[in-house]
Amino acid sequence: MSTILTWIAIGLLFAAGVYFVALLEQWSLQGYFDWAAPFNAFLRSFGQEEIRTRRYDTVFYEATPVIFIAVVLLAVAILPFARETVILDLGTAALFINAALVYIMVSLIMAGWSANGVYGMIGGWRAMAQLIAYSMAVVMAITAAVMRAESMAMTPIIQSQASLWNIFYQPVGFLLFYGAVMAIAFLPPFDLPTAEGELAGGAWAEFTGARKTLFRLGRLLLILTLSLAVTIFFLGGWLGPWLPGFVWTFIKTTLVAASFFWVGRYFPRIRHDHLLEWGWKYAVPAALFNILQVGIVLLL
Amino acid sequence: MMELRIILLIVIGLIAIWFGWRVFRTDSMVRSAFSLLASMVAVGAMFLVMEAEFLGVLQIMMMGTEMSIMAIFMMMYMMDPGGLGEMDMTHQEKPSIIVAVIFGGISLAVILLTKWGDIIAEAPTPAQQNHDLGIEVMKRSMMIFESAGFSILTAMVAALATALIIHNNQIEKN
Repeated sequence: MSTILTWIAIGLLFAAGVYFVALLEQWSLQGYFDWAAPFNAFLRSFGQEEIRTRRYDTVFYEATPVIFIAVVLLAVAILPFARETVILDLGTAALFINAALVYIMVSLIMAGWSANGVYGMIGGWRAMAQLIAYSMAVVMAITAAVMRAESMAMTPIIQSQASLWNIFYQPVGFLLFYGAVMAIAFLPPFDLPTAEGELAGGAWAEFTGARKTLFRLGRLLLILTLSLAVTIFFLGGWLGPWLPGFVWTFIKTTLVAASFFWVGRYFPRIRHDHLLEWGWKYAVPAALFNILQVGIVLLL
Repeated sequence: MMELRIILLIVIGLIAIWFGWRVFRTDSMVRSAFSLLASMVAVGAMFLVMEAEFLGVLQIMMMGTEMSIMAIFMMMYMMDPGGLGEMDMTHQEKPSIIVAVIFGGISLAVILLTKWGDIIAEAPTPAQQNHDLGIEVMKRSMMIFESAGFSILTAMVAALATALIIHNNQIEKN
């Protein structure tokens, strides 16, 4: 019985988390909180005209919003909210989350290309350039966390942080993962694929109504999921005194999500060639250093 | 349970073949690349059905990036906005049919003539598989993996070096 109640509580907290992220997104654009805005935007999307471009690719155009949201839901399924409270307990979860998130990029390319518009296409291909920049940082930061846990499953990764959270154990890995995760969710300053004001919405420029809503909802879920991933890999997941595990998970997750938007407000949008340059010239050596440091500490 | 798994394997296998066939039946490079991606993801799903979790997840992860990169290179060479290029995906039909028949026959012969041993009733747990794979990579197959990695790195450096325009030992800046 208590398990069912826990799951209901997790579901409600997750929905509240999505609302909170929507509020933060609004805040990061306008600078003030508008409590009704997420509901208004959601309702308005149903009344919006469904505009389609001329000679678009039907299959890709209709499939991409669904792929986008499905991929995020797959990633949520393998992340534990508390001890033994996970939908799908995979032995290779740390790799699986990577595999799932690659398809965010695939979905953006399909969206950008299928609509048969210039801005969309540029946005879509930018999503790929961005992936090439951040993928090494993500994978290698996760590798170091996996090294410490000696397992790719999520539960041992969290339990390995019982004595010291990974944010203190491998601060370089945390910084890399944090930045890379912002790039996965294309949050400012890494919002190259959508780039409001430059590409007029980029990969999503030609999507309206229900399809756009699916994308936006998927993005909110994605941000929350990635905050959850940061919590699990570097902030000790459900570990914490007094409160139940899942409450700790949500406190940390929402704080991480809030920090994404807070950090994003203080940086201008990065240029894509600079992003690639930093990704390969600085992030890759830093990630290798991180693996070396963790390896040495583990062997000592 | 075993029967269900085999049925699932056949269904996903047929999906993989169908998408593989679609690669050559579209009129656009990008559609073709993403059909190949779908086919590869189906192969990854087959690994997952066969309880080779690491291989399945790795296949799905790698192919997502690889096929997208392939698509962008095709776009760079041929431009294909919205798939309106109306290209023919088949060429050199006779030689390709001959090659396909020969190599299809060889693969079939390998599949049928190899002694695969008995079917294992219980696959090792994913964690055990990861552990065994790690030991394999760090021991017996280390040389193969290291030389493969080094070859790829050399190819990358060589490709970059040939792509850069160099005059008087200086890289030309645009």
